[in-house]
Amino acid sequence: MTNKTVPPSSGEPVKEETPDAASPDSGTEAPALEVSGISKSFSQRGRSIPVLEQVSLTVKPDEFVSIIGPSGCGKSTLFHIIGGLVKPDAGAVRMNGAPVTGQRGSVSYMPQQPALFPWRSIEDNVILARELKGAARSEAREEARRWLAKVGLGGFEKAYPHMLSGGMQQRAAFLRALLAPQELMLLDEPFSALDALTRSEMQRWLLELWEENRRSVLFITHSIEEALLLSSRIYVFSGRPGTILHTVDVPFPRPRREGMTEYPEFLRLKRQLSGWMREEQAKSGPLR
Amino acid sequence: MISRWKQIWPPLVAVLLFLALWQVSVTWFHVEKWMLPAPSDIWREGIASASSLKGHTLATLRLTLIGFPLGVAVGIAAAVLLHIVPWSARALYPLLILSQNVPIIALGPLLVIWFGFGQLPKIILIMLVCFFPVAVAGLGGLAQTDRMMLQFMKMAGASRRQIFSKLELPHALPSLFSGIKISAAYAVTGAVVAELIGGNQGLGYYMQIQKSAFRTDRMFAAIILSVLLSLLLFAAVVLLEKWLVRWKPRRDAQ
Ligand SMILES: Nc1ncnc2c1ncn2[C@@H]1O[C@H](COP(=O)(O)OP(=O)(O)OP(=O)(O)O)[C@@H](O)[C@H]1O
Ligand SMILES: [Mg+2]
Repeated sequence: MTNKTVPPSSGEPVKEETPDAASPDSGTEAPALEVSGISKSFSQRGRSIPVLEQVSLTVKPDEFVSIIGPSGCGKSTLFHIIGGLVKPDAGAVRMNGAPVTGQRGSVSYMPQQPALFPWRSIEDNVILARELKGAARSEAREEARRWLAKVGLGGFEKAYPHMLSGGMQQRAAFLRALLAPQELMLLDEPFSALDALTRSEMQRWLLELWEENRRSVLFITHSIEEALLLSSRIYVFSGRPGTILHTVDVPFPRPRREGMTEYPEFLRLKRQLSGWMREEQAKSGPLR
Repeated sequence: MISRWKQIWPPLVAVLLFLALWQVSVTWFHVEKWMLPAPSDIWREGIASASSLKGHTLATLRLTLIGFPLGVAVGIAAAVLLHIVPWSARALYPLLILSQNVPIIALGPLLVIWFGFGQLPKIILIMLVCFFPVAVAGLGGLAQTDRMMLQFMKMAGASRRQIFSKLELPHALPSLFSGIKISAAYAVTGAVVAELIGGNQGLGYYMQIQKSAFRTDRMFAAIILSVLLSLLLFAAVVLLEKWLVRWKPRRDAQ
């Protein structure tokens, strides 16, 4: 019914990536997301605090792109701008070539906390984004049940969120985003609330799921390893006001292997990214 | 079942002890019956005038069952209106509070002048008592919607109407019910007071008649009946809440 299961044919990461991420049409298709020249400041107690400055980035169709940066540099604010919740002071957002600045309802979103609706059963939570777009409940539920079984939540269709563990709730929240009719997914630190073990388990789970069902994804994370493991490109943000310091193309082929975290190239990239992050952290003050 | 019994017996024992103490001290100190009748006297009188008590109790029940739901409905409507229309809360909240500062007893005769001697002024009185806790609790619940869930809804392109019906309203339900429970506790009292202002039926009217005859035992019987009505109404609301808010994790889960 919807374009949920995009065949992986078009999915192989494009090798001839241009270093300049803002270049509007590097491929034949229009980018799934194109953010250009976004600036935003908030006023707090009469003073204007710049949060984002001249941020430009691109997500191609079926590409997994990560944003990494120090806390408070405006990553979530950027998501809110892309999703139309916050108006930017300058710049524009385009999706598939069409201008969507300030327009709501064109992205699928997974917030930092699972934020499942406690009065809805798991299956009804998972179909929420579709229901909002007017899909028939029974039909959506049917597909939801198939997916719940696939992600290890079979038998919990009728359970309420508080009956699930943190990792299971996160999986349900991810499924809610995955089953949304919108093509582009914005994932805001989806695993930050989980313990280390569950987290790495969830990373592998997400990687596998995404490689089977390609979608355009923009992913915020604090973890360098997570970003390298999952994404084809990483944007490194500076401290506040957030600007893009570096753009890193992650060269590893897909499907990504279990052992890739041991590759010398992986370790080299990890060292480089850690160095940049440490520099940024040091600039923003002795604490944090 | 056993745990339920464990919950019930302490208050039961307390009530029985209280009644026993009452009975004993009334006999012991030779308290006049018209001042304070013994529980046994009240019981006997209650049985004796059962048929007239039954009529008056049913009248009060009927009045409550009209006024209370209407009051709750007005309370919910007020909460929704004040929540949805942006400036209305600031403009009308003071009026809302003012409505509660007017003494109900003083309002009764006025309502009779305006609306006649029928049921209407009584119903309005009960509504005035019942709507306020519901409106305040409902408004608070609607205003405290979870931010993350709200962001999710907005990102997904939910309309104002969808945000209200699929997020704000269910989110406010537990808070709304705490208001409805307070109203339920006041509703029967409101009905009894309303019956003082006119008419010829209901426990309030009955008490007034018995007061002029110094039939304290009958007054006590009426009081006990109104308390029972009140408890019954409260229990019904709690049951409804349990059913409607069944998704909520039980705090006392063991
Ligand atoms: N609505 C707002 N009004 C005022 N200031 C805001 C608002 N939203 C965000 N800010 C400020 O903007 C800055 C960036 O916030 P944002 O949530 O985007 O950071 P972040 O990069 O997502 O941080 P974290 O990694 O900790 O989640 C913060 O200093 C925050 O205080
Ligand atoms: Mg954030």
